[in-house]
Amino acid sequence: MNSMWTVMSFTMKNKLRNRAFVITTIVLALLMVVAANVPTFLDKFASGGGPKKIGYAVGEQADIISGLEAYFAGQEEPKAQLVPIEASGTPDEQTAALKQAITDKKIRGYLTFTENEEAGFPNVTYYSKKMLDSGTAEALGTGLREVKTEQAVKEANLTQAQLSKLFDPVQLESVQISDNANGKTAEEQGTAIGLTYVVLILLFMSTMITGQLIATEITAEKSSRVMEIIVTSVSPLKQLFGKVLGTFLVGLLQLVVIVGAAVINLALPQNQASLQSLGIRLDSIEPNMIIFAIVFYLIGFFLYAMLFAAVGSIVSKTEDLGQAVMPITLITLAGFYIAIFSMTHPDSSLVTVCSFIPFFSPFIMFMRIGLANPAWWEVVLSIGILAASVLLLGWLSAKIYRTGVLMYGKRPSVKELIKAMKAYKV
Amino acid sequence: MNPLVIENVVKQYGDKTAVNGIGLEVAEGEIYGLLGANGAGKTTTMRMVLGLIAPDEGSIRYFGKPYSQEQLSMLGYLPEERGMYPKIRVSDQIIYLAQLRGMARKDADDNLKKWLKRFDIPEYYNKKVEELSKGNQQKIQFIAAIIHRPKILILDEAFSGLDPVNVELLKSTVKELRDEGASILFSTHRMEHVEELCRNITIMHRSNPVLQGSIKSIKSKFPLERVVLAADKSIEGLASIPGVTEVQRHEHEGYELKVQSPDVAQRVLSHALSQGTIRKFELMEPTLNEIFIRTVGERHE
Repeated sequence: MNSMWTVMSFTMKNKLRNRAFVITTIVLALLMVVAANVPTFLDKFASGGGPKKIGYAVGEQADIISGLEAYFAGQEEPKAQLVPIEASGTPDEQTAALKQAITDKKIRGYLTFTENEEAGFPNVTYYSKKMLDSGTAEALGTGLREVKTEQAVKEANLTQAQLSKLFDPVQLESVQISDNANGKTAEEQGTAIGLTYVVLILLFMSTMITGQLIATEITAEKSSRVMEIIVTSVSPLKQLFGKVLGTFLVGLLQLVVIVGAAVINLALPQNQASLQSLGIRLDSIEPNMIIFAIVFYLIGFFLYAMLFAAVGSIVSKTEDLGQAVMPITLITLAGFYIAIFSMTHPDSSLVTVCSFIPFFSPFIMFMRIGLANPAWWEVVLSIGILAASVLLLGWLSAKIYRTGVLMYGKRPSVKELIKAMKAYKV
Repeated sequence: MNPLVIENVVKQYGDKTAVNGIGLEVAEGEIYGLLGANGAGKTTTMRMVLGLIAPDEGSIRYFGKPYSQEQLSMLGYLPEERGMYPKIRVSDQIIYLAQLRGMARKDADDNLKKWLKRFDIPEYYNKKVEELSKGNQQKIQFIAAIIHRPKILILDEAFSGLDPVNVELLKSTVKELRDEGASILFSTHRMEHVEELCRNITIMHRSNPVLQGSIKSIKSKFPLERVVLAADKSIEGLASIPGVTEVQRHEHEGYELKVQSPDVAQRVLSHALSQGTIRKFELMEPTLNEIFIRTVGERHE
């Protein structure tokens, strides 16, 4: 046991001292900080620093203007502010005066009104120098509609009760049907989809990155021939598990730093709103989703790590490694993509079948738990199959590793490997 | 009881026999030479001693006990293919390897410093291995093999690739370890090292041990048939003396002859004396090199 810890701490120490590794982690964490704050930044820039000044000719449509002013005054962050401009005379003279105001930078745009007897409300035109100024136009449109409704209501002399009947919003809530007493609300669904996405991507990335790391290190030890000394100092099994555990812990640390940076920044008050607009609320994450995420992450990681270690041990040169790990990469990719593309219909039979296949199930069963509603025995069965295959693969990988580390030269075929295993009595 | 006893060990890879019935004993404080051409089965034998491969037949005993994990800490191994972690500092990896062999960290550190000083390279303690020259890497590797004071030491081509000064340095270290009581299994292609260091040897050829015993007894089995002759002037007609099989003229006024029997040597001497003054005449036993070539070469079909 002791030498396993030695291998583990040596592996960890070297990784943590590796400058490239440290820099990558810091860069990724910084990217997360930036990414988490991007929506807020965009909001800040889009609002363009305060309301936009919009002019109108004094005295024209006083009712509408005062209504609009009241509407914008009632908003927390009004998009527009109305500025009276002294303009009288013919319409042409008025227009000239308003345009002059724009040149003088008093206003950024202006409104004109033409009577429309049929509608009982004048046609309004918004002039702006900027193209595609839809944000302001939209705000103006909403404001004008409000003013118009108010005028109409005033004319109709409605009671308060009638008013509230008219304006109370319709209640429409979508609830996912589930065996549990309470289904998931829309908010919880949104959060579940978001969380499933994030966990799938994290699982995929960390199995790929950490798995590659393990395979590369084993091959490097083999090609630098340190392996011969190591295998004569410590039993291959302890060495294998020490290495996998050490790399796992380092990978986990890296993950915690990166995810931590993202979560802390997302939890900042200014970012909550933009998350909510995506339908995600951090506080509505179900605790058992997190537990399942950890369980599938752990088992999935070790399943792939064992496979990567075994492949790393049969390759003699680092250059040949990429080709040798290709099949594993493809399996991981397949599991990942089936999960991602099935998120819209998580109860298809393909998903159900794949959620029991060991190499796919970490991705797909987790996705099902998050989005569909698998029976508890399905979850247990899937985890059971996974755990059993981790043990089986661990045993097989240890055997391959034991044999592979001593075989140099061209990559052995399965037949040669089995022959060597028999010869080495492993 | 000898520290390392190998009895009638056989190893087969599929239908190919890699080692066919080798048996040897290494006493305390002895360097045992394991010789053989490339592919003769030396590495397989060493790997079996190291416990990397289990023998099909026969037994290997360490201080009377069969192989187990406990033996790992008393074994030291310098593989033929040298290798260290290129990007890791000398101190880190040597201490790591020593810890794997069951040494305490502090102990390992003290020992490493001692050895670095001994090899006159204390400044490499904090250097990465890739920054060192090949010879110095070899020294570091040597330290890695012996840092935990192994009782049984396996040296595969210990001195290859070193300059003469460093060869002497490592050779004296190996002798020192021997005098401290280590049992050393030593493999090399340099016969002069074997003659200098080993008491007993085994020559392997195509998986079989073909010649075994102390160097003295092995040499005595071969007739005295090498004549070294040096004269002031050149000597004519040496090759035509009956019984002389080979004449080599060396650069500095000397001849080396192969003769069929000691009698022929006397005839060579009188022939030479008739032509002038002789500075040197010696009838010698064959070198280990010759014995090796003859043993291994003759059996080439």
